[in-house]
Amino acid sequence: MSRFLRTATLVALGIVWLLPVYLLIINASKSPTTFTSTEAWIPTDFSLFANIADAMQLSGLSDSVVSTLAYAIVSPIIAVVVGAAAGFAIVALRLKRGFLWFVVIFGGTVFPLQMVLLPLFDAYSRVGLYDTHAGMIIVYTAISIPFSAFVMRNFFTGVAHNVFEASVLDGATTWRIFTRIYLPMASSALVAIFILQATFIWNDLLLGLTLSQSDNVRPIVTTLSGMQSTYGGAQMSTVLAAAVLVSLPTVVLFLFTQKFFSRGLALGQY
Amino acid sequence: MAVLQTPERERTVGGLPEAAHRPPRRKTPYQAAARGFIAPGVLMVAVLLYLPLLWTTFLSFTEYNGLGDPEWVGLDNYVEMFDDPSFVGSLLNTLLWVAGTLLIPVGVGLALALLTWNLPGGIWLRLPFLIPYAISGIGVGVIWSFILSANGALDQALAMIGIADPPRWLVDAPLNTVVMIIAASWQGVGVNALLFTIGLQSIPKEPLEAARVDGATGVRLFGSILWPMLRPLTAVVVGLSIVASLKTFDIVLSMTKGGPGRASETLALTMYRETFVNSDYGLGSAIAVFLSVVTLVASVLYLRQQLSQKHEM
Repeated sequence: MSRFLRTATLVALGIVWLLPVYLLIINASKSPTTFTSTEAWIPTDFSLFANIADAMQLSGLSDSVVSTLAYAIVSPIIAVVVGAAAGFAIVALRLKRGFLWFVVIFGGTVFPLQMVLLPLFDAYSRVGLYDTHAGMIIVYTAISIPFSAFVMRNFFTGVAHNVFEASVLDGATTWRIFTRIYLPMASSALVAIFILQATFIWNDLLLGLTLSQSDNVRPIVTTLSGMQSTYGGAQMSTVLAAAVLVSLPTVVLFLFTQKFFSRGLALGQY
Repeated sequence: MAVLQTPERERTVGGLPEAAHRPPRRKTPYQAAARGFIAPGVLMVAVLLYLPLLWTTFLSFTEYNGLGDPEWVGLDNYVEMFDDPSFVGSLLNTLLWVAGTLLIPVGVGLALALLTWNLPGGIWLRLPFLIPYAISGIGVGVIWSFILSANGALDQALAMIGIADPPRWLVDAPLNTVVMIIAASWQGVGVNALLFTIGLQSIPKEPLEAARVDGATGVRLFGSILWPMLRPLTAVVVGLSIVASLKTFDIVLSMTKGGPGRASETLALTMYRETFVNSDYGLGSAIAVFLSVVTLVASVLYLRQQLSQKHEM
């Protein structure tokens, strides 16, 4: 196909792909008083920020934003360090039966989440972690560890082993070698994992639905889902504004870090 | 393993002149440290993923509603599951999801990657397809529920071109599953396009040039060079799509809640309802186990394909 035809096809398809985004934004911008669901295609006014402010009041969305930010930052940071430590143990410290332990950790992601929901719910209720911030951070960390260990093991395999040996000769402890040499060296991989896992956590519904219920613990997507059921009819433009608010951070992050994403995806495959 | 360990001991002895630095047990100091470094990861995964997994498997053979103790009933839950017409309906919907996700997001993703391949500005032309990928399943569901609602955006557009009596998109089954698959495809195409693009970029230049010199273009170039070279990657994309579509939950919960009735339920939704709405923990666990087995089989199939490809190379 000629270059022109390819470009034209892509532009046309791209416009079709952006139509839902267009509809979301113009309708999320209509104030609840002017909003009518029968005039979906034409923009009328711009009350997006007022609608977002309204949405923040509904269903405790503002509380959710704060907690979800905490989950999406704290859990991947812990997971990245724990995963890197596992990779370091296997590759640099040459842990005995290291590959087996790697398979044990990585195997944690092979099963669908449905396999762990009920026991987690049950156990969380018994030990008092149900509907707590700590409980959510712990579960999101555990879920993020296998992928993190996978990428970090791959990354450290590419590091020459005499980097480690030289540091040992300099008298550094393993902890020092890990924190001062291996972690800084892996910063790009650490950032890639962090971004992917933070996005995953921000977009999670299932764990939030199962392990939390109160406004200030529930993650944001779970809150949006509840809002859709409760206010989807009467305050559609407010719910759409909430959807904009929930989607914006991940879309912006994704567009600015496309390179990291594609690298992370490529790492995830091989 | 033994081959690996022996030189390790020697290297340590040679590398650390003072034997006093060694711990009293006659292992390399690194083994103790290594166990310390890997322990947090293993512990968290064991406690939060493996233990629950085993417990779910056990519960699937019991009758349990959260009160009292689980009562062993053997395979009863599995028998009950397959006798239930709505479980079978849910299974069929899930299969429809698998087929649809293979057809649209994988197919269109490949087409997009080929269209943008070596095209100036290709990165920018791919952007519109990547935006939906970063939106959560519920976000996608909110947008598409709005578009597909009765007299919603789509119906208004259809009315303008003279179609006054459109189908009830989210009510009529199996049409509602089909439109939800389209919504999911809107979300998923970009990432497949990205993966195929990575694949295309990694194809060595020489055979491509040779084929071009021989006059191969378009379909012939694709059939004889690109497709065979993309096959390992295609196996991965197909495998990932199957595994993801088997777990479909968010979009369906958001757009139809599995309804009307249970007409558009998927296995993940059925599992959730039996467990957390009906408190039938045994049956819910049996569905989870079934879903896991199917997912595992699908993963093994594509991973094996992956590995055999690597051996050939």
